[in-house]
Amino acid sequence: MKEDNFEFFWINSDGEKKLATENLVIGNQVYNEKLITKKGTEYRLWDPFRSKLAAAIMNGLEIFPFKDKSSILYLGVSTGTTVSHISDIVGPSGIIFGVEHASRVARDFLDRVASHRANIIPILQDARKPKEYFSVFGKVDVVYVDIAQPDQTNIAIENCKMYLKKDGYFFLVIKTRSIDVTKSPKRIVEEEIQRMEVHFEILQVIDLHPYDKDHAMVIAKFLK
Amino acid sequence: MYSVILTEFGIVVFKDEKLEKAFPFKDAVRDYISVKKKESKLNELVNYLGPLQRGISVSDESLMTLLKKNSIDAQMMEELELEEIQSTKPQIIVDSGFAKNISEALSKLREFAMGLSSSKVTEVSESPDLHIIQAINSLDEIDKIANGLSSRLREWYGLHFPELDNIIDSINGYSQIVLAGKRESLTKKVYEEAGFPDSKADMIALLASKSRGGDISDINLAIVQSIAKQILNFHDLRKKLEAHVELEMETVAPNLSAILGAAVGARILGKAGSLKKLASMPASTIQIIGAEKALFRSLKTGAQPPKHGLLFQHAMVHAAPRWQRGKIARAIAAKAVIAARVDVYGEGINKMLLEKLNIRVNEISKKYETPTERETRKPELFREHTGESRRREGGDFRRREGSDSRREGGESRRREGGDFRRREGSDSRREGGESRRREGGESRRREGGESRRREGGESRRREGGDFRRREGSDSRREGGESRRENKNYRERTDSKSNKNKKRSKFERR
Repeated sequence: MKEDNFEFFWINSDGEKKLATENLVIGNQVYNEKLITKKGTEYRLWDPFRSKLAAAIMNGLEIFPFKDKSSILYLGVSTGTTVSHISDIVGPSGIIFGVEHASRVARDFLDRVASHRANIIPILQDARKPKEYFSVFGKVDVVYVDIAQPDQTNIAIENCKMYLKKDGYFFLVIKTRSIDVTKSPKRIVEEEIQRMEVHFEILQVIDLHPYDKDHAMVIAKFLK
Repeated sequence: MYSVILTEFGIVVFKDEKLEKAFPFKDAVRDYISVKKKESKLNELVNYLGPLQRGISVSDESLMTLLKKNSIDAQMMEELELEEIQSTKPQIIVDSGFAKNISEALSKLREFAMGLSSSKVTEVSESPDLHIIQAINSLDEIDKIANGLSSRLREWYGLHFPELDNIIDSINGYSQIVLAGKRESLTKKVYEEAGFPDSKADMIALLASKSRGGDISDINLAIVQSIAKQILNFHDLRKKLEAHVELEMETVAPNLSAILGAAVGARILGKAGSLKKLASMPASTIQIIGAEKALFRSLKTGAQPPKHGLLFQHAMVHAAPRWQRGKIARAIAAKAVIAARVDVYGEGINKMLLEKLNIRVNEISKKYETPTERETRKPELFREHTGESRRREGGDFRRREGSDSRREGGESRRREGGDFRRREGSDSRREGGESRRREGGESRRREGGESRRREGGESRRREGGDFRRREGSDSRREGGESRRENKNYRERTDSKSNKNKKRSKFERR
């Protein structure tokens, strides 16, 4: 645990140091997480078992480009657990474009997250067709990709080409089991990284064990 | 040079970077969607652009198609221009007069995105196939619940009238008798209403008079009776659901339900997620839908792949001899996916599909009348091997026997057959059967073992010697040679813990 890097994330709860973000919408819970008020500020605990970004932080993430006023393109928001915390971090002047294709989880995402948080723009589109996105403007600081597709890396790269700034950061969650069940997770991660190296400078690769099995997070910088 | 740009709030025409004219949408979300779907008329825009006729470039493909339909010569913009538009979109919206300033443009954009996303969710939620999926899933769940409840009812009322259990198979009849009350209050009328023939009614009356069961208090009886009432209600609901699924399948996916049957078709639809997704699947995927566990095991370990998953419930596969099932399942899956594709485009029923399938199935049953050679291969004797390899052999052997499919499809098949199952044999057997029916993997493995025993393990068991006979299907769990030394100890603990396991499963439910 690297506490020094992001000390503002840590909060004492039940005698343990836990991850948390300052709640953007006071009193609002997204996934029944614990709310803690310290010195008049409300924090939401960030569960690394539910959110892979939190898991990456627990496992020693070194670069954290999500800042106040950042703009983010997030592919695969699902029900919006992680997005809600990023929304806390980027604050009211930041902006998140949340892309999700499946309507079932999008329903929950719209209800629980997007409708309460003004810095999120929900986009119900297939990430395979980045040209079809509506309401996206400008280039973003960070692209975060968490989609379970065999060709997820290529989809992500296409999106980066269209929407990521030069020197912008790219977070890719590699779900090795969604890419190929027969290959060893290690090999898949290496192969995917090779694919990325053409356009990116790889900064860090994090194994998300024990929070998620056979998952890895790759953090890279966009060269273009 | 005129540039026509599609924004979220309207269509704007720029001439040499300057605003010429804006055509705001009346209802942003609806009009935007209809442009994207190439359905809008755009009369005003067409009238405006009509006389210009040259040098028109467009920012959106669907918009271009729409203009071309109205014989306006338009071209797509260059990539660079599109990128420029994309990055300055809020500014364009302000310039076009759709918003007063950038921050209003941003909040309007978000509002639009919320509206469009919500309308998409609404649109998807309205599709009838999702309702079919919910219906078939409820049906399967009701079966599960009713099965559990009926065992409980027999168990509980059995304290009062144990003999009834073995005479009455149908849980409906049983529930009706329970509803009538205690043993003493059972009259001929009750039996008549429950639909039993006279001979049976007489038998029940006789047994009731000299039953071995104990007395039951009124409070207990009341609870037991309300369980019985629930079972009857579930039975009615199930019937309704079944009819409903059948009807819906015939209207939504007539071809699919002709090939697969309404229930199986609906279950496969449920696994696929929607009719559209099903239609875009390869036939081989449909063939093994529901056998994912076996499929992934096969991919990982190189074991034999499953021949069929949910399709095992299909009458043709089910009725066929073992060695033909894979072939028939493949033929059915191939036709099913075509059927799903026809249904997606709503082309009505096509009888040819079923005819061709029947021809093919007949062909298979003629061509492969006798078992293939793999079936006739003798299983190797267990004793000559070490523990390690024996276990592997055992697995292999069973897989070839086709009990894989039994494991995968078995549970639901049972469900399909007689709704509320009758039980057979003694108490302990029943308990095993019950938990097996309800539990997934663990107990199914046990079932696999049983089938192995049935399919030729008989002699093997006798060869195996004393300890083997007791162990039966549990032999798989046992280790290597050392087993024989402490077999007595093992046996005892094993059988005990097994029993406990069964018991605890049963209790927990």
